[in-house]
Amino acid sequence: MGQVLALAFVLLLFGLGTRGFFLSPKNLSTILSLAGIPLIICLAIHQVVLIGAMDLSTEGIISLCAVVAGFLIRNPFNALDLGFWTVPLVLALGAAAGSLNGLLNTKVRMPSFISTLGMWWVAQGVAVILGRGNAVKMLDPRFQPFTNGEVAGIPITMLLALGLGALLLVLQRSTRLGKFMYAIGGDEALARQAGIRVDRVKVLVFTLTGAIYGLAAILLISRLASSNPRAGNGLLFPAMTAVAVGGVSLSGGIGGAVNAVFGTLIVTALNNGMVLMKISPYVQNAVNGIVLIAAVALTLNRKKLGIIK
Amino acid sequence: MKRALAILCLVALVGAGAAFGQAQGVFMGTAIRSLENPYHAVWARGGQAFADSVGGVHVIQTCEGSSEKQLNDIKALVAKAGKDAVFCIDPNESPNIIPIAKALEAAGVYYVSWWNKPENVKAWDYPHWVAHVAFDGISAGEFAANVLFKKMGGKGKVVAIKGMLANSIAIDRYKGLENILAKNPGIKLVASDTAEWDRTKAFEKMKSFLVANPDVGGVWAANDNMALGALEALRAADLAGKVLVTGCDGISEMLDAIAAGEAAATVLNDSFWQGGMGLALALAAKTGKIDLKKTPKEKRQYFARAVEVSQDNVKEVIATYVKGTPKYDWNDLYAFYVRAMP
Repeated sequence: MGQVLALAFVLLLFGLGTRGFFLSPKNLSTILSLAGIPLIICLAIHQVVLIGAMDLSTEGIISLCAVVAGFLIRNPFNALDLGFWTVPLVLALGAAAGSLNGLLNTKVRMPSFISTLGMWWVAQGVAVILGRGNAVKMLDPRFQPFTNGEVAGIPITMLLALGLGALLLVLQRSTRLGKFMYAIGGDEALARQAGIRVDRVKVLVFTLTGAIYGLAAILLISRLASSNPRAGNGLLFPAMTAVAVGGVSLSGGIGGAVNAVFGTLIVTALNNGMVLMKISPYVQNAVNGIVLIAAVALTLNRKKLGIIK
Repeated sequence: MKRALAILCLVALVGAGAAFGQAQGVFMGTAIRSLENPYHAVWARGGQAFADSVGGVHVIQTCEGSSEKQLNDIKALVAKAGKDAVFCIDPNESPNIIPIAKALEAAGVYYVSWWNKPENVKAWDYPHWVAHVAFDGISAGEFAANVLFKKMGGKGKVVAIKGMLANSIAIDRYKGLENILAKNPGIKLVASDTAEWDRTKAFEKMKSFLVANPDVGGVWAANDNMALGALEALRAADLAGKVLVTGCDGISEMLDAIAAGEAAATVLNDSFWQGGMGLALALAAKTGKIDLKKTPKEKRQYFARAVEVSQDNVKEVIATYVKGTPKYDWNDLYAFYVRAMP
């Protein structure tokens, strides 16, 4: 497991660099709390990557779900106060956006990276129109303590993320759907010949991914007790890096939920360590980019790519 | 063939729609970054208010962070309106004002720009560039730091959250903090990093800061969004209200936080006034109300007055700027003038 080694290396490096401070229980707990939401987003994206497709709509769908959630939970702008009923509604909204991604990919036969790129901007645009640029304050006091809370020293967002990871792991390892996903990711034409209803599986995966975006959106806005149309900004890059660093092959068919967990922990630990070591912010961005390129270079299955575009 | 026909129909439809949408009056272009942030959303409302007051056609152009798109949008409106246009521009990046100025000079269109421009480019060298105006970042950073340090009793540890690194306003505000730090030997800056104006990033950076410096006494942030992100990290650590934050921009959530005693200060950059006054100045030059040839250089590039907000005056500020819309005399063109920009 190269990922375990990589995580150990990062922990060791910053442990030495900060004279052990990085490895203090308090900082490890901080890393876990910072990794919770990114892990959920990484788990969402890695499903799509597994079937050999790509999802760039992450930030748009999350922003859209965040704005809608902000207006459904008690807020200063309207009389709605749905409380926790907001959760299923927003998951459904995310799922709907995700399924649209899937339909564009399978029925309209568009490459997923371009259809989801379009969806990113559509969802982002709708979010801005609905939100009119306002930050929406969350007046329901139950959400924030829950999201920032801990159980037995482990942050609740991390527990949720790990629970979701376990669920997806079972889906991938022990269900027919999971086997179909790997078959499609491995070789879509072959999977089709074997009688797998490829389109249906793909739409399902995109839908599931969208629903998980909805979950991430609710956690994001309840963490800050405020939603705005920029809520999703900047989330795609770290999640995609985590997918690649964790060892999920961007050519599809290789990797799973466990890889997503390790990838996210590595990326989060790396960024937390750089802040603690007071490394210049200019350098921090470059390091993240180098890590992404290196990870893809190591995990890409070039035999499957006839021509590199 | 069918597809070509379909595309042709679509183009014809859009064209027809645009032709019917033609309105009368001077076109007033407001070129800003996006409507996603409250600051620019209020800016657009100010522009609309002024356009309505003089019967102009207000056109909002958002560039979404692309300098290329900003230039192209401006050129497109000029192509449509010719000389019957004025512009109020928040350049996406400071060098972007140069191609924009060239395009507008060539068309003979008057314009006002805000915030960012290269230092060696002077508005008075361009016959249609009415003014370049900015709120003073250094004094804003100084004001926030002063209030914060006074609240801390002149001693303790602070952390700083900077804006976008290469951004001149971010640099100015930070310079203001440094100026006041130099005058307060009891205050120690223990960490500083950028959160790129973003609330979520500030939340995450603050969490890491708190691990390294659990005894921090204050947080200075380069804008309100980041200050509010840091505030939520403090809340999660049960420190909200005990450790004060400061920001800049004066968004309404920040004003609420100041009123609630969780934040110490902000500086309200009145973007409603910016949106209206930018168009008002440009229109005044176009209609000949002001003669740029006779306008002194200090009125062509200047710093304007922003509203300094602390716990002492926050209630009045909320009543004036959030609950109400402040009344402006759009004819008083240099009412908020503070000092010349070199």
